[in-house]
Amino acid sequence: MYGKILVAFDGSEGSWRALRAAIGLARDQSAELWALSVEEHLPHYAAAIGEFEEARAEKNEYFRKLHGQAIELAESDGVRLQSAVLPGHAVQTIVRFASQGGFDLIVMGHSGYSGVWGAFLGTTTDKVSRHAPCSVLIVR
Amino acid sequence: MDNNLIAASWLGLALVAGLISFRTGVSASLVEIMVGIVAGNFLVIFTTPVPEFINFLAGFGSILLTFLAGAEVDPKVLRSKFKESFLIGFFSFLAPFVGAFAFAYFVAGWDLRAAEIAGIALSTTSVAVVYAVMVETGLNATELGKIILAACFITDLGTVVALGLLFAGFDLRMLIFVAALALALVFLPRFTRWFFTTFAGHMSELESRYIFFVLLGLGGLAILAGSEAVLPAYLVGLALANVFMADRALVRRVRAIAFTFLTPFFFLKAGLFVSIPAVLAGAGMIGLLLLIKMATKFVGVLPVTRILRFGPRDGMYTTLLMSTGLTFGTISSLFGLSHGIIDQSKYTFLVTAVILSAIVPTLIAQAFFRPKIPTAGGALGSEADVDGEKEVTAIAIAHQTK
Repeated sequence: MYGKILVAFDGSEGSWRALRAAIGLARDQSAELWALSVEEHLPHYAAAIGEFEEARAEKNEYFRKLHGQAIELAESDGVRLQSAVLPGHAVQTIVRFASQGGFDLIVMGHSGYSGVWGAFLGTTTDKVSRHAPCSVLIVR
Repeated sequence: MDNNLIAASWLGLALVAGLISFRTGVSASLVEIMVGIVAGNFLVIFTTPVPEFINFLAGFGSILLTFLAGAEVDPKVLRSKFKESFLIGFFSFLAPFVGAFAFAYFVAGWDLRAAEIAGIALSTTSVAVVYAVMVETGLNATELGKIILAACFITDLGTVVALGLLFAGFDLRMLIFVAALALALVFLPRFTRWFFTTFAGHMSELESRYIFFVLLGLGGLAILAGSEAVLPAYLVGLALANVFMADRALVRRVRAIAFTFLTPFFFLKAGLFVSIPAVLAGAGMIGLLLLIKMATKFVGVLPVTRILRFGPRDGMYTTLLMSTGLTFGTISSLFGLSHGIIDQSKYTFLVTAVILSAIVPTLIAQAFFRPKIPTAGGALGSEADVDGEKEVTAIAIAHQTK
């Protein structure tokens, strides 16, 4: 039913649960599996390229380690996980990536790192589920 | 007050700014200016004259920031897209410089030298603001993105040359400075390569000391000649771009020194002199200065994009991004204030317009004129290899770790 699955992965407990569910789905349906992380809060209106680059390098390093662990987890289940890390706004980036990549399903945790703001303004999961070009599976 | 306590109070502000930046995602530099504005208007200990050692640290911060801006130029891109980037960058400097100067001199009634400062401060383009926007949209890997970035460097070059020459005295000291700068630009790249290779990795940070020595030495000569220390800093940065940027570890160490201990003093000081009553009283003037900057950028840049056969959307996007400004606009305004060329009110008008120019054109460009980026290599794009690192961009996505 699903040929191409995207899991939104920010390293939170909820996103790990989503990843495990997505690995299971991908294995059962022989689907292509991707993990996407979005580098949010890179400094806007920086005074030097270096200010932006250093912040980005830190986030890259964080996600590099995280994706390494995710790939190992998928491998242990016999699934090949491909990963992408993109800067930008989480909701817009996930929706655009899913749309341009022709994904059939987005898998997300119920709660990520949206925190206090998420409680008031709606979490990333809420918004992705409203704007996604495909089905969205929210894992609790 | 004891110097340690003065330094501690300034670094306390820098810490607060860093924490706000961490939470909000707004750059530390911009937050430092804002925190400086609050401190300068509401905290008594910051309303007294700025101590000399803080002035030195702030000045050194602006020199190092300018050097880094020059060194961040990619000479390959600049060479490969020279015609397009030179034309856009040159007119992006010239039109606002002339327009803002004419407005300040003929309409606002500023004196000649103050109007020149207005022209310089509003002619700038913020390469860092543009770069951040481009990385987030994936444009930095496209032809258009590379042209815009290279054009930003040309505009900034126009700004530092104008700032370095317009207020300089032309006498023997200027001759000595020009000769020293010319010799440095010719011999530094090769000598620096040798120095870095020979003395790399020592715990006394010989490479960093060497760079600081060169920058302060040439900066000192520039000031003696009545010029401005950021002029040699930017040119040396350009000359050493290849050598300096090749050593990633050194780049990170110099950036760490700059952003931890030097640039906060510069940006806090820049904010300190912005008077909130002057902002309120001169809101119309600030709006006009911003409008002049953006309108003259349109006059200078948009026709060039048409000549270069950019599409209408790309042309508007390019023009709006070239209308941004922050670092060099602030440096120019602070130069004017510290040399008694402009008073605090004019400084307030200029710096506020410069800060707004970092935000307003960016928001308009992103909301209404964001170019559609062609997808490369299949549904999800392909890997782009930048400087030997896997650079993942918005559409050139496939950072396939397997």
